Amino acid sequence: MADSLPTEFDVIIIGTGLPESILAAACSRSGQRVLHVDSKSYYGGNWASFNFSGLLSWLKEYQQNNDTGEENSAAWQDMIHNTEEAIPLQRKDETIQHIEVFCYASENMDENTEEVNSFQENLSSASNTLPEPLDSTCLSKAAHSSNLSSYEMPDKDDSKSKGETSAELTDAEETLEKEKNCGDKTCIETVSDEDKDENKPLVEDNTDLPKKSRIAYSQIVKEGRRFNIDLISKLLYSQGLLIDLLIKSNVSRYAEFKNVTRILSFREGKIEQVPCSRADVFNSKELTMIEKRMLMKFLTFCLDYEQHPDEYQAFVQSSFSEYLKTKKLTPNLQHYILHSISMTSESSCTTLDGLKATKKFLQCLGRFGNTPFLFPLYGQGEIPQCFCRMCAVFGGIYCLRHKIQCLVIDKESRRCNAVIDHLGQRISAKYFIVEDSYLSEETCSNIHYKHISRAVLITDQSVLKIDSDQQISILTVPPVEPATCAVRVTELCSSSMTCMKDTYLVHLTCSSSKTAKEDLEPVVKMLFTPYTEADTDEGELKKPRILWALYFNMRDSSGVSRTSYKGLPSNVYVCSGPDCALGNDHAVKQAETLFQEIFPGEEFCPPPPNPEDIIFDCEDKQPESSITNVNEPSEESQTLENPEEHLEN
Amino acid sequence: MSMEDYDFLFKIVLIGNAGVGKTCLVRRFTQGLFPPGQGATIGVDFMIKTVEINGEKVKLQIWDTAGQERFRSITQSYYRSANALILTYDITCEESFRCLPEWLREIEQYASNKVITVLVGNKIDLAERREVSQQRAEEFSEAQDMYYLETSAKESDNVEKLFLDLACRLISEARQNTLVNNVSSPLPGEGKSISYLTCCNFN
Repeated sequence: MADSLPTEFDVIIIGTGLPESILAAACSRSGQRVLHVDSKSYYGGNWASFNFSGLLSWLKEYQQNNDTGEENSAAWQDMIHNTEEAIPLQRKDETIQHIEVFCYASENMDENTEEVNSFQENLSSASNTLPEPLDSTCLSKAAHSSNLSSYEMPDKDDSKSKGETSAELTDAEETLEKEKNCGDKTCIETVSDEDKDENKPLVEDNTDLPKKSRIAYSQIVKEGRRFNIDLISKLLYSQGLLIDLLIKSNVSRYAEFKNVTRILSFREGKIEQVPCSRADVFNSKELTMIEKRMLMKFLTFCLDYEQHPDEYQAFVQSSFSEYLKTKKLTPNLQHYILHSISMTSESSCTTLDGLKATKKFLQCLGRFGNTPFLFPLYGQGEIPQCFCRMCAVFGGIYCLRHKIQCLVIDKESRRCNAVIDHLGQRISAKYFIVEDSYLSEETCSNIHYKHISRAVLITDQSVLKIDSDQQISILTVPPVEPATCAVRVTELCSSSMTCMKDTYLVHLTCSSSKTAKEDLEPVVKMLFTPYTEADTDEGELKKPRILWALYFNMRDSSGVSRTSYKGLPSNVYVCSGPDCALGNDHAVKQAETLFQEIFPGEEFCPPPPNPEDIIFDCEDKQPESSITNVNEPSEESQTLENPEEHLEN
Repeated sequence: MSMEDYDFLFKIVLIGNAGVGKTCLVRRFTQGLFPPGQGATIGVDFMIKTVEINGEKVKLQIWDTAGQERFRSITQSYYRSANALILTYDITCEESFRCLPEWLREIEQYASNKVITVLVGNKIDLAERREVSQQRAEEFSEAQDMYYLETSAKESDNVEKLFLDLACRLISEARQNTLVNNVSSPLPGEGKSISYLTCCNFN
């Protein structure tokens, strides 16, 4: 596959996160010749999703300080003409910090894991090609060590460790052997159970006895490809900009979605389902008759609050929570509205912002289902890839694992003419779009970044068990202390194609004040319990148990203004990494704004011709919307119901 | 609402190295054309052909790589929800055969475990330049539990057979699955494509 890359394009895009990918699709769609590269071996940058082994490799990459070294990069200095200068790009990704991994599930090295490995070996021995590092099911030490790397910022002195990646890839079995020691307590506890259950398919076991359904770490590894773990946890507002763009551009045909099924609230140590639709409100057992009326009345008002300024005018200066206190709502309802519906837990949120957020929530209700949100099957990381596919379909060229060493600037015109890649190839273009993390420290020296605190947990049951175990839930946990911020919790079930059967994938997100673990652990402790301590039977009130946990901080460059970057030519445009918000509006807005700036007057992602219209086949054909599944969706949630219908009377 | 003019719809996805003739296979089958012509695929996402098998209308949605295989940068989402994969190599190109394990690894990682995979050795019209013997390919496909077929998109050898056989297998598989599915609880992949959902909204 030693194909050579063309050396002239209209647009070069560096980074495959969501805004860059949307831009790539838009540019390619409007006839530009696009080169889209990423230095990583995967799509999405910090918007990516990984299966379990992929995530371990990702962790390992950061553990090893993410330094790829310079030895494999061709010298670029001689490629720069006298009339030009170079702006070097960043070699390592510094957007992820404070990674901490905890494994609570017991070790259980069984034959199945070996099978996976031997399968891999067979494959690679059938060819002379080496497996890609990302694909190799190497169980890195990262998986178990309780504190893998708490480095603050990658230490620059460590750059000597370059190129050791392959040498350090530990043999899976060897590692597991070692790890048995660190899980001592766990092993002793579970030995007897495991012996009994050795040959039974554990996952099939759904009895009430918790001991029977124990899940071992080796099972997670073995079923690793069932996981699709998002680095950034987001949902799609069903009336949000991203959904609109997906539909308009037809990129939606590359993905499938599920409704978020529950909105939860956490109050006085208890998790409850928040009724949002009219039916929900009336079926709710938690609410009294009077509360139901109060809630309906208030929500109906919120839908067109602009029409009733007298209702809130006096409170524009006060916070939304203060305002709610004046609205004849019980504390229970105030809590629902503030934390779960408007999701504006911060005390700084004004009345108007609160009303606006509530209205947005209500407007999104009922478009696709009972909650305002959709989740993409296989994880959020699919979405950037879908836009990339669209770009490729219109001729865009894709290169992962392709590093760009520098931007080449013409001294006189102060415009960027070309880039030089890691092969020493000079590739020219008219416009350059660069994701923030690729810019060098010098370019970004004026910038003070915010951060996002993230936790990812694999748990054994839902935070709120009801008759169906296949729920996708979102929960906002109000600030534990006044100074901290609310934590957003998303719980995904296995039918969202993000985790193995009988487990749940839980994402916690908040904007950082400290390290991710410091920010999020209090909430994790409130909602969950480590797997190892779980044998005390508390009946119904039992908390879900954590099998595996990961904490990390991610840089949030969403608020950075273009003018803060030093020395960038005007035809170099910058996209930011993921922001902390639940929706994707920021990325879509950014992509559209940049696109209009570069190509004023061009239409942004117009619908492509329908393949079924272009392709002539002998059979009679009828244009219809594309369907990606053989089993067609049920009638459920097909129409855009008027939100008012949910609420009135 | 949607007038179903078919009994089955299957998504078939082509993979394999650049230049092995994937697009030619699709074009030959769907349009009876060869060669497909330069640049003609721009903007075409997938091709459709409806065939009739034992009185049942089967709509085949055949997806091509959009060139992303050139630098080994196929998106994972490309593999999702495929009912069948056609893994293609060029019998006159040893390298394209040696890359097969790499492709299988991608399938293993990203495709559904129910996916049917067919191995196709294309360009048998260039038999005098053959580098990969039929026996080797057969052994390999057997070891990996795949069906195997040699084709020529140029001469139209076995192209029809490839897709029609695949359609037959998909039908019988689908029948079996519906039987099994009646017993099992919530099915993964019950997600919906937005465009389908919203088609009612715009009316």
